[in-house]
Amino acid sequence: MIETFNDLMLGFSIAFQPEVLVYAFAGCIIGTLVGMMPGLGPLAGISLLLPATFGLNPIVAIVLLAGVYYGAMYGGSTTSILMRIPGEAASVMTCVDGYAMTQNGRAGPALAIAAIGSFFAGTVGVIGLMLLAPTLATFALRFGPPEYTALLLMGLFVLAYMSGGSMLKTLAMAIFGLLLGMIGIDIMSGYTRFSFGIVELGDGVGIVSVAVGLFGISEILLTAGNQDTPQVQKPTLRELIPSKEEFRRSAGPIMRGSLLGFMIGIIPGSAHIISSFVSYGIERRISNHPERFGNGAIEGVAGPESANNAAATGAFVPMLALGIPTSPVTAVMIAAIMIHGISPGPMLIQEQPELFWGFVASMYVGNLVLLILNLPMVGLFVNLLRIPYAYMYPCILAFCILGVYSVSNSIIDVWIMLMMGGVGYVLRKFHFDLAPVALGLVLGPMLELSLRQSLALSGGEYGIFLERPIALTMFCLGGLLLLLALKPLIFKSKDWRSKVGLEDEEAT
Amino acid sequence: METPAEQQTPPPSSTGIKSDQVSGLVLVALAIYIGWLNRKFPVGSLADPGPGYVPLLLAIGLGLIGLLVAVLGGHSRPLAAIRWPEGTRAVIILVACTAAGVALEHIGYRLTIFAFLVFFIGAIERRRPLPVALVSVGFSLGSYFVIGDLLHVPLPVGPWGF
Repeated sequence: MIETFNDLMLGFSIAFQPEVLVYAFAGCIIGTLVGMMPGLGPLAGISLLLPATFGLNPIVAIVLLAGVYYGAMYGGSTTSILMRIPGEAASVMTCVDGYAMTQNGRAGPALAIAAIGSFFAGTVGVIGLMLLAPTLATFALRFGPPEYTALLLMGLFVLAYMSGGSMLKTLAMAIFGLLLGMIGIDIMSGYTRFSFGIVELGDGVGIVSVAVGLFGISEILLTAGNQDTPQVQKPTLRELIPSKEEFRRSAGPIMRGSLLGFMIGIIPGSAHIISSFVSYGIERRISNHPERFGNGAIEGVAGPESANNAAATGAFVPMLALGIPTSPVTAVMIAAIMIHGISPGPMLIQEQPELFWGFVASMYVGNLVLLILNLPMVGLFVNLLRIPYAYMYPCILAFCILGVYSVSNSIIDVWIMLMMGGVGYVLRKFHFDLAPVALGLVLGPMLELSLRQSLALSGGEYGIFLERPIALTMFCLGGLLLLLALKPLIFKSKDWRSKVGLEDEEAT
Repeated sequence: METPAEQQTPPPSSTGIKSDQVSGLVLVALAIYIGWLNRKFPVGSLADPGPGYVPLLLAIGLGLIGLLVAVLGGHSRPLAAIRWPEGTRAVIILVACTAAGVALEHIGYRLTIFAFLVFFIGAIERRRPLPVALVSVGFSLGSYFVIGDLLHVPLPVGPWGF
């Protein structure tokens, strides 16, 4: 415990350096703006900012990008509450009761509770990250290729089980992503696969071009025709203060949402989205007045907003401790760290304590900055929403082209982005979840390498996966989840999605 | 996210081809295509997998799942219920972005983005000339200054040094 405290002090000594503070502040502001703008979620925001971090030191780079991530979680709630437009997908549930509160003249308290819940959840998430990541990293030092193979496969099964939509479609998208990951030179044999003679594809398909295409471009293709400039309410500072009753009713959902969100955040998939749906479902289920949900229940704002912020932080645990991304955002952040020659994984915390603890401490600071800034400045931020979309979306498109091109000064990346934008647009029309594609792209080469290394170690014996207890346990857990996921398909029964109302929301 | 136009359109009859049946069959076709492309790479054996082994496994998995999606997709939305009200604009956006990509390395960042914004805001969105000019000039020069000059990200420059 004392060691953790000392490490945290080291982190704060780094986080309070003026340069780090400035970039944390900038990341939070950019993230808030990005989260508020439909068509530019945290993933697109981080991807577009990535080239700008090349010249920065790795600590500053990751602090900036993380600030964008959790800033976007804050920002997404503002448009959901004031305009019923989710700035990013995790804020969809906040629209329901948040906007109803706005219609009831309680927009201010809804914004305040969303910000307070986000701050509390962010802080709980950082404490969880601080305590869990080093322990997990120490444990993961025992991992060899068979354990990584088992872990990655288990992750894919968890992804399928916990997906917000159809399990089969999620698996199909994960495999599509894994196949994209096969493009390029095979490390073990030297063969260049599926490159169609394009030299640039020898290094594989970049996560940034795929992510910006799938999430940024496809969103613009879906929404570009919108001509409306929305009417926006601007609550004054005095109107932001919630009543005692609203505070009392929000306390439980904030705490439950924080714990739930952090736990869901650790597992693979669109955790911040799923956590907000699950939190909303739970709050509605345990409420004595479920009929208030949908009509402006503050619990319906407090729970999901806390959950999606905690999940955003939870996703950093496997990223920093194992070097494995569990969401498209962490996949891009891993790419950002690797550009600086640092490999995330079990050794990161030991070899780069300044980076890990500086990052953790900066998240404490960032959460506080967001709370202090967002409430008084909400009126300023919503002015951005008055810009007609006809001006906004061409600028976002220009940013997408600029950001993707700048990653490796390659026009091929721009073509990949556009192709993925078109593919993502069609897939969304057919209700496919896109997050598994981005995850599969990153996990594919890791999975293939660890599988083939395991077989090389064992002389081709698959028994190596059964002889190693950690690998065997993970395979059993993965198999169990797969069976659970298949159960509703075979027995036509309802699964957890219908219990939390996720399928209903997906269908609308 | 469904567009307002989709939400307002009444759903067609429940008969006919379903969306999941189509998407499942497309996945099967994609799996077959990948399997066909993969024929160039040695698959190796179970004990000693070659570079074609994992892609083949994945293609088989994708094909099987695609088949399941198609077979179990009888209760999904009818294909005709999927509306494409923004389809034309989406195609225009993709074509314009492709043109911008081609132009980027030939005429440089600033001119490309200026022309790109004039096309979208002026020609497609039909906004007044003054705001179009202000946004296009301001964004192309401003973003170059911030990203290129301040953050030192190398951006393409045209043959005229601009």
